[in-house]
Amino acid sequence: MALKLARLGKQKKIPDSLPFWLLLPTVLILFIVQIYPTVYTAWLSLQERKPTGWIYVGTKNFERLFRSSLFNESVGHTIVFLVSFIALTMLLGFLTALLLNQKIRFVGFYLSLIFIPWVISTIISGQAFRLLVTPDYGVFAGILQDPALFPPNGISVLTDARPSPWFGSFPFPPSKGMILLVIASTWRSLPFTALLILASLQMIPTEIIESSRIDGANGWQIIRFILVPIILPTLVVTIFNLILTGMNGVAIIISLTGGGPGTSTQIISYLLYSLGWGQIQFSQAAALGLIIAVVNWILILATLRLTKVEEAR
Amino acid sequence: MKKNLSPFNKNIKHGLTHFSLALIGLFCILPIILIGIISLKSRMDIHRKPPVLFPCDTPTKSFDIRACRWSLEGYQLALGMRPDPDALLGFRLTGNIVRIYLFNTFLYATAASLLVVGLAGAAGYAFSRYRFRGHKVLLTAILAITGVPFLTNLVGLYQMGISIRKSALPIDDRVFLVLVYVGLFLPLSAWIAKGFFDAIPRDMEEAALIDGCSPFQSLILVVTPIAAPGMIAIFLLTFVNVWNEFMAGYLLVAKNEYKPVMFGLYDFMGQNTLNLQVVAAACIIIALPVILLFLLFRDRFFSAMVEGSIKG
Repeated sequence: MALKLARLGKQKKIPDSLPFWLLLPTVLILFIVQIYPTVYTAWLSLQERKPTGWIYVGTKNFERLFRSSLFNESVGHTIVFLVSFIALTMLLGFLTALLLNQKIRFVGFYLSLIFIPWVISTIISGQAFRLLVTPDYGVFAGILQDPALFPPNGISVLTDARPSPWFGSFPFPPSKGMILLVIASTWRSLPFTALLILASLQMIPTEIIESSRIDGANGWQIIRFILVPIILPTLVVTIFNLILTGMNGVAIIISLTGGGPGTSTQIISYLLYSLGWGQIQFSQAAALGLIIAVVNWILILATLRLTKVEEAR
Repeated sequence: MKKNLSPFNKNIKHGLTHFSLALIGLFCILPIILIGIISLKSRMDIHRKPPVLFPCDTPTKSFDIRACRWSLEGYQLALGMRPDPDALLGFRLTGNIVRIYLFNTFLYATAASLLVVGLAGAAGYAFSRYRFRGHKVLLTAILAITGVPFLTNLVGLYQMGISIRKSALPIDDRVFLVLVYVGLFLPLSAWIAKGFFDAIPRDMEEAALIDGCSPFQSLILVVTPIAAPGMIAIFLLTFVNVWNEFMAGYLLVAKNEYKPVMFGLYDFMGQNTLNLQVVAAACIIIALPVILLFLLFRDRFFSAMVEGSIKG
């Protein structure tokens, strides 16, 4: 032992118990309030509430969920929401980051301005966008409800039903409430997205861009063939963050539309909330929670795999 | 082909950049400005049909800056301002928002952030400085936890909360909620802390060890002062996150006296569906502290957020 220590010499990795004690509280806390509740939810998804207590019912909750039309509809809403929210946020975020990466004055000022939405809580964000379109009293209600501008009856974002779907029962085109939800969610996620992309753009050495410009590449070609490939890992990480934000974004729906008009802004996480705390069907909510967790995992692993493939090329 | 932008073209390009950024900035700030305007209207102007943006119209003109009817009615109602001759400023704030909810949230956010800084700092240091068995597995596991949606865990946490309330455990909703917040924001913070420690050179600790410090002493006396800026960033990030969190507080707290501010605000919105100026004023009052905190410490926030996401 002494010999081994001596050989390690200057590196001196004395094995002591300090890291164990440093990590123990973190591991304990995560076990109690993260891992145990997940296991508890998983257990709950196989039970049913009876007057005598919880009873094991196997996969009945899952079967019931898959058969319900509300679940299928919510999956459609989730796809419409996630795709449009992520596409819009990434596009705007990338554009904002490119603009902020220019050598101009007042970048700090713009950065502060653009970052304000991040500090605003989801509940207040939802309320803010709701106040814009509240029937009769909202800021834009006068314009939107004008039959001359929007025939025949004007637009009422919070009450207009979803247009009849184009592809079978898939909820597309979305309701106006869903469009508002996408705009509000994009508004809140834009700062974070722009910051992450900006941080990775700033790490690119300027020589690369200069030399490609000398070689005759135009602005679009520089973006497409140089910037995007270099920052691809960051873009993937950002998308992965947005998937998590979008999948978990219940609070903003609660304060913006309450799932309405009708059920047109119910994405699966909102369905979980309304199953559990609206209809007091915790076993079904738990089953849905597990499904969402699994879908999250698949999406995360898929994005990670994708980055690996791109990096290997 | 070599492209050199003439000064004239460069000016156009800069102008366009500024214009686009101003437009995006406006999009980001507009909802907040509109809430601010609504909060300063009187009840009379809120319920106008068709609605007017500024309460500045007169019977003859559509906009007259001298005729603006700004009012603090919304703020007075949201704060529950009551005249009181004994109070320092001649009035008391009796509204639940200040008296209960803001106070609670300040308490929860401070407690949770301090705990997160302590725990994440310790964990981050251990991950950064030691290579032990299970190092990589544990680090990945902590990141993997964030892949489980919080709402999924809330189903279990809600049932746990019910059991705790029934049991004789000396844990009330407040302690439970703070623990949940710590667990929620700890994984990311531990990663951020590891990144910060990785950036600190080891020479000074090694010198301290050679001079006879124990590893624990060197952590407290040498490393902690250097790591302080990073730890402050983690504190601020967690503080704002807890301040703004809604779902956990909403679903895990039963008593009105224990409600955090976002839950209180949500109740308040339900009670004032027609008094939009009061709701708007409450939103401004509640958002202002964290907006100011962010504007004061902007770069600290950015360092923590970038560290947490790019490395993660």
